Amino acid sequence: MSLLSQAVVSGVLAGGLYAMMSLGMSLSWGVLKVINLAQFSFILLSAYFTYQLTVSLGIDPFLSILVCVPLFGLAGMALQWVFNRIRISEFESLLFTFGLFIILESLAATVWTADFRRLSTEQNPYVSESIWIGSIALPVPQLAAFVAAILVAFGVRHLLRNTHFGRAVRALAQDRDVAVAFGVDNGKVSMQLAGLAAGFSALAGVFIAMSRAIFPGLAVEWFGIVFSVVILGGLGSTLGTLIAAVIIGVVGAVATVWGGPPMAPLAVFLVLIATLLFRPEGILGAARRDT
Amino acid sequence: MRLRPAAAATVVLAVALWFVPEFADGFPIFYLLFAYNVFFWIAQASSWNLFTGSSGYFSFGQGAYYGVGVYTVGVLVAKRGWPLLPTFVVAGILGALLGLFIGLIVFRLRKLRGEIFALMTLAVAFVMGAVARVSSTIDGGQGIPLSGVELPQALGDFPAMIFRLGLIVATLAVLAAQVLHHSRLGWGLFAIRDDEAVAENLGVPTFRFKMMALGISAFLASLSGAVHSLQISYVTIEDVFNIRVPLLVILMSILGGTRHWMGPVVGALVVYTLNDRLNAAGLQDVSDLIVGGLLIFMIVAVKEGLYLRARQRPLRAAIGFAVGIGPPIVLGLTDSAITVMAYGLLGAVLLLMLPVTAPVEEAVPVHG
Repeated sequence: MSLLSQAVVSGVLAGGLYAMMSLGMSLSWGVLKVINLAQFSFILLSAYFTYQLTVSLGIDPFLSILVCVPLFGLAGMALQWVFNRIRISEFESLLFTFGLFIILESLAATVWTADFRRLSTEQNPYVSESIWIGSIALPVPQLAAFVAAILVAFGVRHLLRNTHFGRAVRALAQDRDVAVAFGVDNGKVSMQLAGLAAGFSALAGVFIAMSRAIFPGLAVEWFGIVFSVVILGGLGSTLGTLIAAVIIGVVGAVATVWGGPPMAPLAVFLVLIATLLFRPEGILGAARRDT
Repeated sequence: MRLRPAAAATVVLAVALWFVPEFADGFPIFYLLFAYNVFFWIAQASSWNLFTGSSGYFSFGQGAYYGVGVYTVGVLVAKRGWPLLPTFVVAGILGALLGLFIGLIVFRLRKLRGEIFALMTLAVAFVMGAVARVSSTIDGGQGIPLSGVELPQALGDFPAMIFRLGLIVATLAVLAAQVLHHSRLGWGLFAIRDDEAVAENLGVPTFRFKMMALGISAFLASLSGAVHSLQISYVTIEDVFNIRVPLLVILMSILGGTRHWMGPVVGALVVYTLNDRLNAAGLQDVSDLIVGGLLIFMIVAVKEGLYLRARQRPLRAAIGFAVGIGPPIVLGLTDSAITVMAYGLLGAVLLLMLPVTAPVEEAVPVHG
C-alpha cells in the first residue's frame, strides 16, 4: 500500500513537470494556432544548457533559470516573428517546427553526443534531497517543478483573465480577424505569448536537467505524454493542462508500479483514447474554456 | 476501368525492370540493393501520400505501419515458422487494422480532426514500441533475430529476390496512387482536402472515404515493411518504431510534391540517393541537418514540390542535371554511377528551388 501511495505522490509531482512541459504547447496551439514541436527542442536544449552552465561555471542549477528562460523566450519570439511574416498555416507550422526539431536534436547530438548526461551530486545537491512526509518522499527537483507549475499556471490564468494583454490574447484565440479589426496588434501580442510559452518550456528543461539523465533522443519520448496532456486538458486551457498533467502523471506512475515502466505509455495512451472518445473538448469542457 | 497511359507505362517499366537481375551478371550486386532501397522508399512515400496527399490529413504514423510489417514477419515467420509469402499479406492486413483503429477514433471527432490525427499518429509509433516491449510474444525488449528466415528460392538469389519483391510492392503502391487519383474515392478525398464541411454537405461520404484511403495506405506501408524485414538481420524496437521513417517519408513527399502521384516517386529517388551518398561519404551527422533544413525550405518556398516545378520548367531541371553530372565526370569520379546520378539530381534540385520569376501564375495562393 505504501508503494502505491508513493507512486501516487510521485505521479502527482511528475504531473507538475508534465504541466510545465505542456503549457507552452497548449497556449501556442490553442491561441496562436501554431503546433510548435520546437517547444520540445526548447525543453531539451534548456536542459542541456543547465547541465553545461552547472558543469562549466559550477553555479547552482537553479540559477540557470535566469539564463535559460529569457534566452528561449527570445528564441520563441523570434520564431513567432518568422511565422507572422510568412503567415504560416496550422499544418505548415507543424511541418516547419518538425524540421526545426530535427535540426536542433541533431545539433544537440553533435555538441553533447548521444551519451547520457547527468549532473553529479556535488554539482546538483538537490537530486538526492527529499522532503519526507511520514514515509513518503518528495524529491526536491520534482517538488520545485510542481510548485513552479502551479505558480505559472495560476499566474498565466490571472494574466489572461485580468489584464489588457490577456483580453487581447483571448480575443485572438476566439476570432483572430475580428480581434485584429477591433485594434488588437496581432504581431505584438502573438510574439509576447510565444515568448511566454517558450519560457515555460525552458523552465521545464531546467527541472529536467536537475532530476534525471538527459540524452538527445529524450525529446521524442515526450511527444506522447505532452500530446495527451494537451488534449486531455483542452487546448489553451491553463487550469485544464495542470489537472490533466497530474492525472497523466498519476496514471503513468501507478501503471509503472503495476506492470513495469513500459506499461506507462500504454496506460497514458488509453487515457488519451478515452478522452478523444468521450471528452474531446478536454476535461473542463468547452463551456469552461476561458483559459 | 479504362487503362490510363501512366498506368500502362508503369506496368511496362515494372516488367522490364523485373528482368534486370537476369542481365546483371558481373554487375556489382550493390546496384541491385541500391535499387531495392529506392523501391522501398517509393512504396513508403507513395503509400503515405496516397492518404495524406489526397485527403490533407497529415500523418506522422508511417513508422508504426512499417514497424507492424517488420514485426509481423519477426513474430510469425522467425518465431513461429509461418511461410513467408502469406505472412506478407497478414502483415498488410494488420497494418491496415491499425490505421483503421486510429481513424475510427479520430475521424468521429467534430473539431480539430486534422490536428489531432497528426499528433495521434506522432504518438502511436511510440505506443506500438511500448506494446512490443510489454508483450513477450512480440518482442519483450529482447529484439528478434531475422537472419534465419527462409527465403523463397523462385525469385533468384538474395539481391535479385529482394529487388523483385521491392519492385512488386513499389509498383502496387504507385498503381494504387494512380488509380486513386482518377477514381470517385480520389475526387472525394480531394474535396475533403479542400473543404471537408462543404464536401460533406455535397454528399461525399467523408468518413467512409477517409477510412478506405487510410486502410489502403496503411496496408501498403505495412506490406513494404514486411518485405524490408528480409534486409534486417536483427530487429529491435528502437530501430523500427522511431521517427526516421516518418521523417524521411514526409520529406520525400513534400520535396517531390504531394499533389501528384509522381511527387513521392521523385522525392524518394532524390532523398534516398542523396542520403545514401552522404552516408557513404561519412557525413551521417549532417544528413539530419539537411533533412530538417530542406523540409523547412520546401514548406516556405516550394509548396507545390519539385515534380510540378520540373514539369513547368523542364529545361531548368535538365540544365541542372547536366551541370550536376559535369564536375564528377570531368574529375573522373565515375567509378560509381550512383555518385554521378546523385550530383545530377542535386544540380537539378538546386536549380528548381531557385525562385520562379513568373509572378502572374504564381500569385495564386496554393490551397490546402
